[in-house]
Amino acid sequence: MIIERRWKKWVYFYIPMTVFVIGTLFPFYWMFITAIRPDAELYRSWRAANNAPFWTFHPTLEHVRDLLEKTSFPYWIWNTFFIAVVSTMVSLFCGLLAGYALARLKFPMAGTLGTSIFVTYLVPPTLLFIPLADIIRSFQLGDTPWALILTYPTFLIPFCTWLLLGYFKTIAKELEECARIDGATRFGAMIRIIFPIAVPGILSAGIFAFTLSWNEFIYALVFLSSPEKKTVPVGVVSELIRGDIYFWGQLMAGALLGSVPVALVYSFFVEYSVTGLTGSVKG
Amino acid sequence: MRRRAFLKLTGTAGIVAAHRAPAFAQGTRLHIVRWVDFIPACDVELKKQAGEASKALGADVQFEFINANDLQPRITAAIQSQSGADIIHMLHNWPHLYENGLVDVSDLAEWQAKEQGGFYPQSEAYTKVNGRFMALPHSIVPGLVAYRKSWFDEIGVTTFPKTYDDLRTVGAKLKKKGHPYGQTLGHTFGDAPAWAYPLLWNFGGAETDRSGKTAIESKGSAEAVKFMTAFWKDACDEGGLAWDDTNNNRAFLAGEICATLNGASIYIAAKRGQDKIKDERGEPLVRDIQHARLPAGPAGSWSYHTAFAHGVMKYSKNPKLAKDFLKWFHGTGPFGRWFEVAEGFSVGATKQWERHALWNSIDPPMKGFRTAPDNSRTMGFAGPPSAKATEVYSKYVIVDMLAKGVQGASPEEAVRWAAGELRKIYGA
Repeated sequence: MIIERRWKKWVYFYIPMTVFVIGTLFPFYWMFITAIRPDAELYRSWRAANNAPFWTFHPTLEHVRDLLEKTSFPYWIWNTFFIAVVSTMVSLFCGLLAGYALARLKFPMAGTLGTSIFVTYLVPPTLLFIPLADIIRSFQLGDTPWALILTYPTFLIPFCTWLLLGYFKTIAKELEECARIDGATRFGAMIRIIFPIAVPGILSAGIFAFTLSWNEFIYALVFLSSPEKKTVPVGVVSELIRGDIYFWGQLMAGALLGSVPVALVYSFFVEYSVTGLTGSVKG
Repeated sequence: MRRRAFLKLTGTAGIVAAHRAPAFAQGTRLHIVRWVDFIPACDVELKKQAGEASKALGADVQFEFINANDLQPRITAAIQSQSGADIIHMLHNWPHLYENGLVDVSDLAEWQAKEQGGFYPQSEAYTKVNGRFMALPHSIVPGLVAYRKSWFDEIGVTTFPKTYDDLRTVGAKLKKKGHPYGQTLGHTFGDAPAWAYPLLWNFGGAETDRSGKTAIESKGSAEAVKFMTAFWKDACDEGGLAWDDTNNNRAFLAGEICATLNGASIYIAAKRGQDKIKDERGEPLVRDIQHARLPAGPAGSWSYHTAFAHGVMKYSKNPKLAKDFLKWFHGTGPFGRWFEVAEGFSVGATKQWERHALWNSIDPPMKGFRTAPDNSRTMGFAGPPSAKATEVYSKYVIVDMLAKGVQGASPEEAVRWAAGELRKIYGA
């Protein structure tokens, strides 16, 4: 039995973990405290007497109410959710098939193709939005959610493919071969054997694709114009930043409420997500 | 009566009888993209006017409001894809940048200038490209120094300093009392260039000469850097190097700084929230705010005020409708109503609006905005406000020249660095 000294546990585990947890959660705390802080406190100097920058004595839901009643925030949440879910499902479907093919099938240039797919993920949206705008115009999809559902897979499919490609490679080929000896087709083996084992990887890719869609800004800014059709990142910035004045209370309330769905998705699938990222398959 | 004359007469009579302009094809939509106005009531007024314009023009007029920083990506995407809004809000000298994507509106500009007393020079310079107006000047958002009257009074200064040297002396006294001057030298689109360019001009420096060749290496430029370095140390809140356009507003409203160069947004925010935003005595802060022009340097007292215009996009399927709308929208009726709602935050692009009745009833601290645009120069001075001048502006070369001095470079080194950057852009 190894006996560790208590101070070592503190120095190497508890203290670093505490710092990390505080660093990670502080932005959310700051969003929360700013969202419920009255304007009079938001504009109080840090040097003022009795100033309490890290908490408030007069919490208010005024900013949340203003956000929900005076802006189109409920529409933005629904638009963002719909677009993120559909584009994630489309990308996941394509990524699954492409990832499986690249990991399992032998065909010329498979390796190069895998790398090329990943390289396309690296092309910044700030360059891509111009030619994509041309395509959206040709299909007459401007100012509809389908403009984003069509464009988000351009970066989500490479991302999902690359993540799943790596995951499929960690699954032993023998499992699939056994199924095929027992009479399964390749497709059947893929659906019945490989995909169930790959659930952590699939969920992990799905969670990240959902988050990327949820937070995307530039395409949503360029392709959507009607106020009630906007997504949360664009709507909040458009309506609550006016010239050089930021409506901090409502902005933070919007950021906080906007991050709730993503946080819920993560909390439900956190174990799968970790397994998916580390690529470990339990035999 | 001839047939043509008869048709013309009866057609006009019909229009008059119907109280509306001839309708464009049914369902024709006119899409206008503008920045989200600092004053929410201005956008409400525009939405109201969209309804009126729809009736007057027989088309569906729709405004879309987006953040000022997001206008350029929208314009770029629209021009590249040849689709998007019919009319887009243009800031600064953007008509020079997007000349090839815009419709010539010289006829409208001629009408507006004639009807409303002539454009301010910067509005004309920013929209007139190679002799043609590529956008129609709409308004100007002037920048003045907002300052805390009572704090200046406390040290015996009853009017805002008239020269930069006086400002440094007064600022040093106030900084010692814990009330520094607030100025950003960060990469932020409004407040940093609006301070840096006039400082350069007022000390005799210039980005280019009249022919557009680099002329920054001058005694005036070095003097501007020298002043900025001393002013920063003696009078400014030294955290300002990292500020963006919002920080000085927050710092002023929080009572952390004694003065800052800004639009009227600080005053209007303090007025709008006077029951919440108080000074150290518990009084509404708005009562202690006054505005002044930038001080003078050895070479003058110029300012930089942001000009706004509307550009009709060349790809628009309804250029005639777009121009008809602009003529209606920039007319004295609709513009006048919007101007009144703006409460002096935005002023007209033409001089007629200096005589508007609003200025008689407006709060005294806002009166200075009436004629503020009359001393504005344009980016690229002494050369034209070309696309290259925008590149200099976008890369913050002039701002960074001052920041380098503040960060320890000698004035000569800072100017030499700026000259090198300008040569890369202008080529000479």
